[in-house]
Amino acid sequence: MDMDPTVSTRREESDEAKAVNMLKVLPVDCIAKVLSLTTPADACRTSLVSTSFKSVAESNAVWDCFVPPESDYLFSNSSSSSPSSLPISSKKELFLHLCHHPLLIHDGKLSLSLEKKSGKKCYMLSPKDLIIVWIDTPAYWRWTSLPHTRFPEVAELIKVCWLEIRGRINTCILSPATLYAAYLVFKTTTGSYGFESQPIEVEVGLVGGEIHKQTVYLDAYGGRRLRYQIVPRRIGVFNRPLRRIPGLQAPQPQPKENEELNGPKYPKERVDGWLEIELGEFFNRSGKDNGELEMSVLEVNGGNWKGGLIVQGIEIRPKP
Amino acid sequence: MSNQSESPNPTSSSNKITLKTSDNEVFEVEEAVAMKFCTVKQYFDDENNNNVTSGTSTTLIPLPNVESHPLAILITYCKKHLEIKANNADNKKEMEIDMEHYEREFLKNVMPQELTELILAANYLNFKEALDFFCRAVASAIQNKSVEYVRKFFGLESDFKPGEEEKLREEFAWSFEGVDED
Repeated sequence: MDMDPTVSTRREESDEAKAVNMLKVLPVDCIAKVLSLTTPADACRTSLVSTSFKSVAESNAVWDCFVPPESDYLFSNSSSSSPSSLPISSKKELFLHLCHHPLLIHDGKLSLSLEKKSGKKCYMLSPKDLIIVWIDTPAYWRWTSLPHTRFPEVAELIKVCWLEIRGRINTCILSPATLYAAYLVFKTTTGSYGFESQPIEVEVGLVGGEIHKQTVYLDAYGGRRLRYQIVPRRIGVFNRPLRRIPGLQAPQPQPKENEELNGPKYPKERVDGWLEIELGEFFNRSGKDNGELEMSVLEVNGGNWKGGLIVQGIEIRPKP
Repeated sequence: MSNQSESPNPTSSSNKITLKTSDNEVFEVEEAVAMKFCTVKQYFDDENNNNVTSGTSTTLIPLPNVESHPLAILITYCKKHLEIKANNADNKKEMEIDMEHYEREFLKNVMPQELTELILAANYLNFKEALDFFCRAVASAIQNKSVEYVRKFFGLESDFKPGEEEKLREEFAWSFEGVDED
């Protein structure tokens, strides 16, 4: 059986019969299998090989392997051709759609999107999926809706002394053999205060495993100020209100090695206008191991009030 | 020898099965090896259903779509596969490491053209592990390579209309970033 199947019927077009022409002998489903074991970029690029190759490289058999099963309903919806459904007519289109339009899953608390070239999965945990200490106290935090966010509600920090945000994700839903990095995605409001020169402790690691800690800054303008001031942290320490616990005048969370090597870490602006700060990296070896990855943002040592932060979520995406 | 769970019959594992290729070569292989070829297994099962006395392996199984060269390689691969599995029956991780090591060495002695033959043979014989392995080998050979490289690899020529290819190249520009040099 299965032997029919040459993709190409253009044998007559090449004058000298080639000794080996893989595509003329390989069954379509074998070519599709090969392409499904490459990456979306490879499958896309190889559609330029020839017209017959293109039809395999664009087939659903190939792209089905690049789209997560959770997104299948978008595809089946569209085949019913209801006017409201998305104009998605192939798995390749579905894949490309998911690269630019994160899909809300887990009751809208988690968003899933795909990295275009590798097809690897990216997630963002919404604030509803995070543990935020004091979130239920309206004087400290409130829920708000903003345009250009992927979640209906995001968390706005009014003010706290104890800032603690934690998120957990099961590693089995991450892409295997992938180096991921976690980012806090946020904005500062015009009245933001208390973050200037304030070291924030961030951690990423498997629950029950090794945790990687480092110190970062959430001060959006810190990176710019740094060019003019060499030692902003010192100044921050001296300016701190006296409310701090006596005897703790020494520089707080010690500068970590990475800070000494690469300089302090400040937020970067994203293409969507939000800010992000890297919390740490995690290498996800296999897709089968069941483990929980915990990411956290902590400022509980300084004891000073801080406020004016809007948290969209924690993003986990492959590191280039 | 450890219990061959994939063996369909409770017959002794020393049973031999004879396979005849399209170029009329005859291979005598152990039943455990032949049973990894689902097409052969199917043939055997059907035979068993039709003929209760079968079991003594005098059956000659014709393989009209497989040549002797790829079959010989597949048998070697299959034997090694079973051996590694038997040696690491209680350690899946070790088995995977040994298998990976063997497959890496295996590929050093295989020409790209041979991969086609092997895929075809493994596909016909429905030998899943081998088919997966050879497809993975081709996939990694063409991964991140230029269109020209892939054409050469598969022995193909562009048959797009003038201008068509350029248009596609523009449309899929993102997939051309960072491609290896040929």
